[in-house]
Amino acid sequence: MQKLATPSNRAQGRSLSKSTKYQASTATIDSSSESMMTAIDIANFNAFYGTFQALHDLNLKIPRQQVTAFIGPSGCGKSTLLKWCNRMNDIVPIAHATGSLKVGDRNILSRNTDVVDLRRQVGMVFQKANPFPKSIFDNVAYGARLHYKISRSELYELVEWSLKKAALWDEVKDRLKSSALGLSGGQQQRLCIARAIATGPEILLMDEPCSALDPASTARIEDLIFELRRQFTIVIVTHNMQQAARCSDRTAFFFEGKIVEEGATEDVFTRPQKQQTEDYVTGKFG
Amino acid sequence: MKDPINEPREYRNDARRKMFSSSFSVTCLLVSSLAIVVLATLLLSIFSTGGGWLSAEMLTASHRENNPEESGIGQAIIGSLVICTICGLAALPIGVGTAIFLEEFKPKNRFLRMLHGLVQLNINNLAGVPSIVYGILGLTAFVYMFGAFSPIRVNDQPDYEIGATYSYQTKTLGGNYVRFPATPKIQPFFEIKQPRQVSSSEGQPFKLNVVSATTDAAEYKDKLEETVILGTKAELTSHNGVESYTTQTLGGTTVFFKAEPTYSQFAKILEPLMVSDPEGNTFELNVLSKSDAIPTNPEVLSKSVFADSPDPTKRSSASIFRENSFFHMHLPFSKSVLSAGLTLALVILPIVIIASQEAIRGVPQTLREAAFGMGATRWQVVRSAVLPSAIPGIMTGAILAMSRAVGEAAPLLAVMGGVLGTTNHLSSLMDKTPVLPVTIFKWAGDENQGFEHLAAAAIIVLLAFLLLMNSVAIFIRYRYEKKLA
Amino acid sequence: MSDQSLGQGELLAPPASPRREFRPRSSKSSKRWQAVVVTGLVFCALVSVFTTIGIIVMLVVESWGFFADDQIEIWKFLTGTKWTVGQTQGELSYGIWPLLSGTLRITGIAMMIALPMGLISAIYLSEYASKRIRSLLKPTLEILAGIPTVVLGFFAVKFITPYMLEPLGDFKTFNATSAGIAVGILCIPLVTSLAEDALQAVPNRLREGGYGLGATRLEVTLKVVVPAALSGIISAFLLALARAIGETMVVALAAGSTPTLTLDPRMPSQTMTGFIVETFKSESVVPGTLSYFSIYAVAAVLFLITFGITLIGQIIRMKYREVYD
Repeated sequence: MQKLATPSNRAQGRSLSKSTKYQASTATIDSSSESMMTAIDIANFNAFYGTFQALHDLNLKIPRQQVTAFIGPSGCGKSTLLKWCNRMNDIVPIAHATGSLKVGDRNILSRNTDVVDLRRQVGMVFQKANPFPKSIFDNVAYGARLHYKISRSELYELVEWSLKKAALWDEVKDRLKSSALGLSGGQQQRLCIARAIATGPEILLMDEPCSALDPASTARIEDLIFELRRQFTIVIVTHNMQQAARCSDRTAFFFEGKIVEEGATEDVFTRPQKQQTEDYVTGKFG
Repeated sequence: MKDPINEPREYRNDARRKMFSSSFSVTCLLVSSLAIVVLATLLLSIFSTGGGWLSAEMLTASHRENNPEESGIGQAIIGSLVICTICGLAALPIGVGTAIFLEEFKPKNRFLRMLHGLVQLNINNLAGVPSIVYGILGLTAFVYMFGAFSPIRVNDQPDYEIGATYSYQTKTLGGNYVRFPATPKIQPFFEIKQPRQVSSSEGQPFKLNVVSATTDAAEYKDKLEETVILGTKAELTSHNGVESYTTQTLGGTTVFFKAEPTYSQFAKILEPLMVSDPEGNTFELNVLSKSDAIPTNPEVLSKSVFADSPDPTKRSSASIFRENSFFHMHLPFSKSVLSAGLTLALVILPIVIIASQEAIRGVPQTLREAAFGMGATRWQVVRSAVLPSAIPGIMTGAILAMSRAVGEAAPLLAVMGGVLGTTNHLSSLMDKTPVLPVTIFKWAGDENQGFEHLAAAAIIVLLAFLLLMNSVAIFIRYRYEKKLA
Repeated sequence: MSDQSLGQGELLAPPASPRREFRPRSSKSSKRWQAVVVTGLVFCALVSVFTTIGIIVMLVVESWGFFADDQIEIWKFLTGTKWTVGQTQGELSYGIWPLLSGTLRITGIAMMIALPMGLISAIYLSEYASKRIRSLLKPTLEILAGIPTVVLGFFAVKFITPYMLEPLGDFKTFNATSAGIAVGILCIPLVTSLAEDALQAVPNRLREGGYGLGATRLEVTLKVVVPAALSGIISAFLLALARAIGETMVVALAAGSTPTLTLDPRMPSQTMTGFIVETFKSESVVPGTLSYFSIYAVAAVLFLITFGITLIGQIIRMKYREVYD
């Protein structure tokens, strides 16, 4: 595995304050400062569906500009945690959570969190590709149109940039106006990634983005994830341990609503500290 | 010990069971096919009765009493189209809005959730309310507006009105009609035709009852102090410095009510004045006194009238004439196409809501998640992700609801009465009009046999219209499905 | 790394993100707009709430006008066996029973036709029909459901009575039977589609269980599927019943305008809805008169019955939906 650990200053300088303007970084920041290295800071976090407690007292720091993988058997709560990171659980009426979940320096669980603003900064890619029944262009432009005052030419530039980032541009540049539903499954998923990065997020959450794809498409998405981490903090939930090993820097192993072990991917897979982790990564259960 | 399963037993007759099963299948098929037989019989009987009566004249002519050969459904077709348009314009936005609210804005709060559920239950129940009940609601809420305004009678001007111009019209000695503008004035007398608020000389307000002279006033024998006979004239007077009408009740109390300027039914023509004819030419009207010789020149005759005089043979009375512009409106709506359209909108509203809800529910949750994940507000999610995918379903449901509205007769009978024809063309929302289903109903019940055939012909037109609407619905569904795939 | 579309050099020096220069829209404005929209939607939803309130208030207030009349006693209204409101001659009688029994008679005949036929059609469509027969039967039922009721009324009085009933016996020109048959015809599609929904909601694993034990199709249908869908079927029956009770144009055309209290299906039989239409048709309703108020009193009874039946049907339907969800 190739490791590119140097974070770029450019992305780091982006402020996460509420009235964010996206500007190239001018400030010089001590990159060793721990709080600036942490994108998401989870402390004493509990999540519930009604009376069922899905997550128990989690503590986890997700570092910037790295890929963090959540692994674990189904029902262990990893998707739940991911969805709390941009408050997607707001759609579920019975879901609630306690503790602290900080993105930047804000506890996003607080009542007065602006979820619209939060979701601009914390983008999400879902298990199944879910393009809107619109043209490819309109799909990618969707978020930008929601969030920015933007001219047509700038929008075009942004769409092109995002599609290039998502490694889809060459395949769709001649048919931007045709329906996104005409794309193949893998292309649709990359379109969803392009759509997510076009809003200019700080963090990208990916909820098993490859689970519905064939191996070839999976490989392309994995490559993409590997490239994208230069600019985005990526959190990926996956069932597939090989995938976690291939494309993540850090790994957290979840079991029955708790984080059993967390650390550098290499360590978790090759030198697990806990018996449960070892059993899982070696395929004894899961 | 023997296992009970090894006991010797007789088998139930397999062949018989299988025979029952297959014969039931045949019975089912036969019964189900009855629907096809019924439909075929219905269509055949209607086509054989009315097919021969379909003609271009029949499609354009209007109803003629006792003359089915020359009657037609021209006005009814236009009336049905206009009423359905109003109905659609009212029901579709409200229905789709309600559906969006119910499906996409589910509250989290427990109490609000309960209210939400109640609204949903209420809508499902409204779908089961007989349409005649909606008709009565329309009559009460739109035609009479719960009696909040004085009812509108022929030749009376309503309390609240826009888009109507009043003039007096009279016939010249030459036989043509001329008009001159009318202005409302406080009339010296006021004829009491309906119950109204009055006050006693002490200023105590109460409601004045009106009994018709023929009715036995016994009904009001305890309230004679508050009752007058229909048509009692009230005189103009000044009461506490306000121009008021006053009259005495049957019980002998004096009552007052404020005088409002109104148009008198008739105007006296005493001196020459500027008039216009229906073509819009303006000229001065010659007014002849009783003793004047009648001019012989027809040109002059057409511009002359007698001055108002006691001699009925030599009198020209100018009577009030109302011209309605296309935006003519008044409160209450009275028996009008607007009332009818709104009533039908209430009838189909639950259908539109339920169909739209189903269409919205059919939109995959992943699309909503996608839009939410991008930071869209709930409404942005609805507008940009949910509605575009739900539109074909909503349109299909809407058209089916509209086709229900086209065929509804009962609510229209309640709201507009059994109108078969009107002398004027439909020119404003306040006009009455015949409509297809009511026309069919009245003709089907007509004693003249010819109207039976005409009703069947009208049914063919109605069914053709419904078929057209349904084809449009299928076409829309097909097109959108293709576009989305 | 197999990605062809992006060269390595491009990756190391990604194009400057164009988004730097964009001014974000304030999320406040989109939220304010959402608040406006939601208010609008709430008003839309309130229309249907006010419709119900309007119906109830109107029926209560205006029926009060009927019962407050000195000539009327509510007890006689509910138990009387003669109805002469709206007739110009004779003594005033205002017992609801002739109208109510007319409604019940016609509804009874209609249900005798619609329930078995609708249920059998639903069973056939759900359990037996091949795709081809389905594609023929379904549209037929949909067309039948879309036929305006005034057309069915015309069919009843101009075809069913003279060609089907009069050869059979001494049927009057306007009679309960032809109206009942026509109302039954219009209820068939309703029963079929609702009952079919209920049957289809029964999960296939139940059917498989039955077949696995060697049951025939008839046995599976009647002993497994129908009992499992029973609450849905009952609710379908109730909704059809409410529809038949409220049906107006068919009875106005085919059942005649004589209120009768008899069990003879050959006799004319004015229903509650028939009375209301008859009064409107004559265009002699003047607000404030007794016959005007009587419309509301009759409509109140009609509304109570249909609303009650629909409500029970809805509740049963909701219950069965929960079972397999």
